[in-house]
Amino acid sequence: MVRAVPAPLRILAWIFVILTILLLLAPLVVVVGVSVSQSEFIAFPPDGLSLRWYQDVLSSGTYLAAAAASLQIAMLVTVLSTLVGGAAAIALHRGRLPFSGLVETVFLSPLVLPTIIYAIGALMLWSTFFGPVSTATLWIGHTVVALPYVVRTTLAVLSEADPFLEEAARTMGAGRLQRLWFVVVPQCLPGLAAGAFFAFNISFDEAVLSLFLRKPDMVTLPVQIYSRLEFSPDPSVAAVSTIMIALTILLILVIDRILGLQRFASS
Amino acid sequence: MTDRTENLLLALPGLLLLAVAFFVPIARMLALSVSGPDGVTLDHFARFLSDPFYLGVLWRTVRLAAVITLICALIGFPFAYIMARVGPRLRLWMVIAVILPLMTSVVIRTFGWMVLLGRSGLVPRILRDLGLADRGFGLMQTETAIVIGMVQVLLPFMTLSILGVISRLDRRLEEAARTMGCSFAATIRTVVLPLAMPGIVAGSLLVFTLSASSFVTPNLLGGTRIQVLAASIYKSVTQTLDWPFAAAQAVILFAGVLLVLIPYAKMTARRDG
Repeated sequence: MVRAVPAPLRILAWIFVILTILLLLAPLVVVVGVSVSQSEFIAFPPDGLSLRWYQDVLSSGTYLAAAAASLQIAMLVTVLSTLVGGAAAIALHRGRLPFSGLVETVFLSPLVLPTIIYAIGALMLWSTFFGPVSTATLWIGHTVVALPYVVRTTLAVLSEADPFLEEAARTMGAGRLQRLWFVVVPQCLPGLAAGAFFAFNISFDEAVLSLFLRKPDMVTLPVQIYSRLEFSPDPSVAAVSTIMIALTILLILVIDRILGLQRFASS
Repeated sequence: MTDRTENLLLALPGLLLLAVAFFVPIARMLALSVSGPDGVTLDHFARFLSDPFYLGVLWRTVRLAAVITLICALIGFPFAYIMARVGPRLRLWMVIAVILPLMTSVVIRTFGWMVLLGRSGLVPRILRDLGLADRGFGLMQTETAIVIGMVQVLLPFMTLSILGVISRLDRRLEEAARTMGCSFAATIRTVVLPLAMPGIVAGSLLVFTLSASSFVTPNLLGGTRIQVLAASIYKSVTQTLDWPFAAAQAVILFAGVLLVLIPYAKMTARRDG
């Protein structure tokens, strides 16, 4: 048997892993730290310990309005992208589509095209034809960005599903809608659910599209945080960020339950 | 109704949505970039490409994206390799360290770096205490700050892309190399690295395009003085309100991204097929 890894290298690897994890998590830890600070100024490590900034956030009209806008858009995006993306994934999985390779590329293309390019186009198109931007602009915009994730998670789950189940239902005389509703949809349910949570997360956290399409009376949380950071950040920004991080952790736990994080990480 | 029609009907809402809300806007942007007061014009491109200021912005964007990509690859490869080879407990921690930042808003992560790198932040303070920097030393509004922030933002993409390839490698190849007398370093160099190359290249292309087009992090960490292409586009849209010029800049970015993405699409297609 060969000794796997030389001892000095093993120690070096440990140091490297710890430093990299530190690099990846440091900004999040810092934000949480700042949020419980007592002082008026942003400081890390925090001076003293208090929850006053959370109180501040929960009684501030601007933050609550932004949170409401973000939540509303994220929920609309979740519903639309799950329906549309799920249906598309089922069609793609069955593979009996004209130009199916091209169609799949089309569905995944918002994934690789930088959001800023899309944002410019969306803004210019919308203002030319529909006038001022509205909640609907962001709804559609975020749905486009989130769609590939739903398609991907649903395709991943379907690729492990039993293809003969639908065949069996067909021989037993089930109609098209029955087969879809009672066989295929239950088969891709974990993928749809994971995709829905991803879509929610993407819309809730998205900043670039929202910044380009922002309007004074429609500001999402990330845009609100961004403008505070540009001008006058105080620890309340950290508090609202911490609440968003907590929500992200919750979403990750749920996705892990549904799909398994390990599988997500190695796909 | 045939199976084909049924599938087409299922895919149709998505195709329509993408056509109207994704491809038409991009076409609109392309059209606007060559539109002038009297018909088609290339003036906006000429203006960009003849102004040393904008050429400087373009060069900075490309240079920073290259540096960020290189650093991400240098950290991402060993990290992904270790992730694929450690026990399940440590791997879970490493997965969390990659996924949690990935799913947190870029705005929040950049905020964290603003606190860490600011004048009284932890990083400059430690550097000063160690005697590595003098008293006036600050990191905010430097290109270094942009690189540090962007590496943290994009490292998860690189890591996952490499991990996808490494986790499918046959471990017995490495064992075979070791039994044949290869040292550990030689095994990595001659067996793992070449086999992981598709993941490294795909990850690098992705990180390069994402960092060349990123806006939030460079803008907040670099300030208005250090402009990148995306920030310059945003300025043309929101401040000077020169939309055709903004569109022209976006087209230049788009062309660069396509140049990088076409080999990416070919490579990922080969990997799946």
